[in-house]
Amino acid sequence: MLSPYRVIDLTDERGVLAGQMLADLGADVIQVEPPTGSTGRGVAPFFADRPDESIYWAAYTRGKRGITCNLEDSRGRELLLQLLESADFLIESSDVGRMTELELDYETLRDRFPRLIYTSISAFGQTGPKSQYVGSDLAIWAAGTPLLMSGDDDRAPVRISQPQAWGHASGDAAGGSMLALHARHQTGHGQHVDVSAQVSAAQATLAQVLAYQLGAGDPERYGGGVKIRGQAIRGTADVADGYIVLLMGPGPAVGHFANHAVKWLVEIGAAEPELLDENFVTYADRVATGQADPALFPRIQDIMREAVATRTKQEMLDISIEYDLLLAPVLDIVDLGDSPQLEHRGFWQEIEHADGCRVVYPGPPLNILVDGQQQGICRRPPPELGQHNAEVYGALGISADELGRLRSEGVI
Amino acid sequence: MTLPEGTGPLAGVKILDLSWIVAGPTVGRAMADYGATVIRVESPARIDTARVVGPFHGDEPGVENSGLYGNVNAGKWGLTLDLRVPEAQEIFRRLVIWADIVCESFTAGVLARWQLDYSHLRELKPELIMLSSTLLGQNGPYNQVSGFGSQGAGMAGIQDLAGWPDRAPAGPFGPYTDYPAPRFALTALLAALDHRNRTGEGVFIDQAQAEGSMQLLAPALIDYKNGGPALQRRGNDDPQMCPHGVYPCLVPEGRTEAWVAIAVATDDQWATLAEVIGAEQSMSVEQRREHQKEIDAAITSWAAGMSGADIEETLQRAGISAHRLATTEDAANDPQLAHRNHFRRLPHSLHGETVVEGPRYILSDTPIQPARPAPQYGEHNLQILKEVLGLSDSDIGELAASGALS
Repeated sequence: MLSPYRVIDLTDERGVLAGQMLADLGADVIQVEPPTGSTGRGVAPFFADRPDESIYWAAYTRGKRGITCNLEDSRGRELLLQLLESADFLIESSDVGRMTELELDYETLRDRFPRLIYTSISAFGQTGPKSQYVGSDLAIWAAGTPLLMSGDDDRAPVRISQPQAWGHASGDAAGGSMLALHARHQTGHGQHVDVSAQVSAAQATLAQVLAYQLGAGDPERYGGGVKIRGQAIRGTADVADGYIVLLMGPGPAVGHFANHAVKWLVEIGAAEPELLDENFVTYADRVATGQADPALFPRIQDIMREAVATRTKQEMLDISIEYDLLLAPVLDIVDLGDSPQLEHRGFWQEIEHADGCRVVYPGPPLNILVDGQQQGICRRPPPELGQHNAEVYGALGISADELGRLRSEGVI
Repeated sequence: MTLPEGTGPLAGVKILDLSWIVAGPTVGRAMADYGATVIRVESPARIDTARVVGPFHGDEPGVENSGLYGNVNAGKWGLTLDLRVPEAQEIFRRLVIWADIVCESFTAGVLARWQLDYSHLRELKPELIMLSSTLLGQNGPYNQVSGFGSQGAGMAGIQDLAGWPDRAPAGPFGPYTDYPAPRFALTALLAALDHRNRTGEGVFIDQAQAEGSMQLLAPALIDYKNGGPALQRRGNDDPQMCPHGVYPCLVPEGRTEAWVAIAVATDDQWATLAEVIGAEQSMSVEQRREHQKEIDAAITSWAAGMSGADIEETLQRAGISAHRLATTEDAANDPQLAHRNHFRRLPHSLHGETVVEGPRYILSDTPIQPARPAPQYGEHNLQILKEVLGLSDSDIGELAASGALS
């Protein structure tokens, strides 16, 4: 879909997903690295059999072409400017102020490239009192407030063990860049898109980031769930081989799922058949008017927890689908690797790297049909350092001899 | 015939939004922000869960009080339709003719029962762009799993990866797959719109919210699928940074606890921090990891006498990544968020005023303000039925009598 467009991708590990999202939609994305390689090539984890090769970098540069360019050198900067002649997007995630030092900031480039969409990803934004703060996944998660709400109540708040914050910011960078493209269709000119990972992280709070301003109390962390107004709500339950996510509640939005759960509990003999007459859609209202027993629902929750405890994750998934319950297994990485659902959808894709290694990747974030035709991810393997120098710089009219000279002088 | 057009790059783009809760509505909200006309279709017969989840105005639960519903639906027009009623299905078909984009998040197969799925709507309008967003996708053995992003978090591997190695998973907050998924959907819809405008071709997007969220686990997934270890939850430890944690600090009056996040990425940063807390400065990351307990104890003891704000400022000035564990009051008073005008106040007919988040990017030449707060139930029924579909008062009366509008 985006095949008419070219992206010059200057990001490091902090923004590298954004360009890939556009590449998977068809854009020509050229990852630009310093001649010594991006710092992203040093981010864990590393391939088990190739300990110098970053899986992180491979994961998010798949689908891109790759060149080297020394932006510290004025000749390198001149090459970049030549590349920008044919580019629609520039995406960068360097420390705030760095692009200005290099005279490659938006204000400097806009006159020469009025149609360029220039997207910056940073921890807190390009301007403002915290713009110079040093970002990290953990600090951003704290600043955006999702960290406030996650963890066991008797220990420190806890993050997700695979860092997330820069991924959220990169996703917003892709969306914001596309909005700027539509603006360009209207006005004819590009603009600067400024993404703050702090703001992106706030998405992961279910709008609770607004709680204080709306006059509501903060949710508090609670293992496997949350505490609201001091009341603990556990959202998980123990099963024979691990855990499930189990949400049961009365009320108009979810009460019918509780009715389904009662049907299952009655069928397996765990609850008495008279309970089939109870309707948990209206239960809460009837409790409020004294027409229903407030102790009933907690008792059913206990019965439910007892019933699931002796069954496996897989059994509970099958039961959940059959009875339409509000529960699902807590899958670990091994389970995902073996998931029949992902298998059925062709999620895993094997791609041959330039060195001949075959590597299995996660598949597309979306299944897309264009005019009825199935699209896929861009199957271009992650580029080796400078892999497409000859191709990309050659298209600018730079000869092989010249390239050799630029390489030996450390420009590319 | 149409509703008053919005302003911005998407002015004139028409979206029919049947999605609910968070993952789908967030996408329409972003497009409404930039000028698209978004008609949100819902039915009080099947209450949108976002309406009964807080935070609530004044901490008072109620279907018109939810800040979550307000945050993901600001700027949209509201129409109530009960799609189980044939007359409502007919209205829906007519709105599809009007729309450029349809967004929906029913369990896979539900729209097909009413012949309102993509294969039917495409016959009606070949150039239609449609997003169908579910937890696990339109096909496959588990496509009938219904529920929320909390189930999605379980089935995307995220729930398992937040917490302590010696305990059950704590999990992230809330329905996590609702957070990454809209980014992928929005980007793809905007690409589809661009493509359709150039080629006239329609696009169907089958979103499995879990698969979108798993993109943010890609390194761990690739590691395991290619012979490496399976990542397990590891508290706040980081494979490359140490110290790296959330530490208790001085508790301000009126609160029961306070914390600060600190992440040390380089030996230089460690040397600086070590000087501040009185620890050995020349230690490699491996040595620091070996002495992690002592180091964490030293940081905790240093932090005990300082506020999170002071620690944040002190360490950031020294070039070390740190931030107080922001509460939602801290967020409300955060000068950086204020600088970005992140919180937007909108007049509201029930609450006087409401507050929503701004967009998650600032476009230098395209400032936005949501045109209106999220619609109350049926708020724009008459306007939509008259101005978009040209129905008369008596048509609308008959429609209401059929139960289509409830």
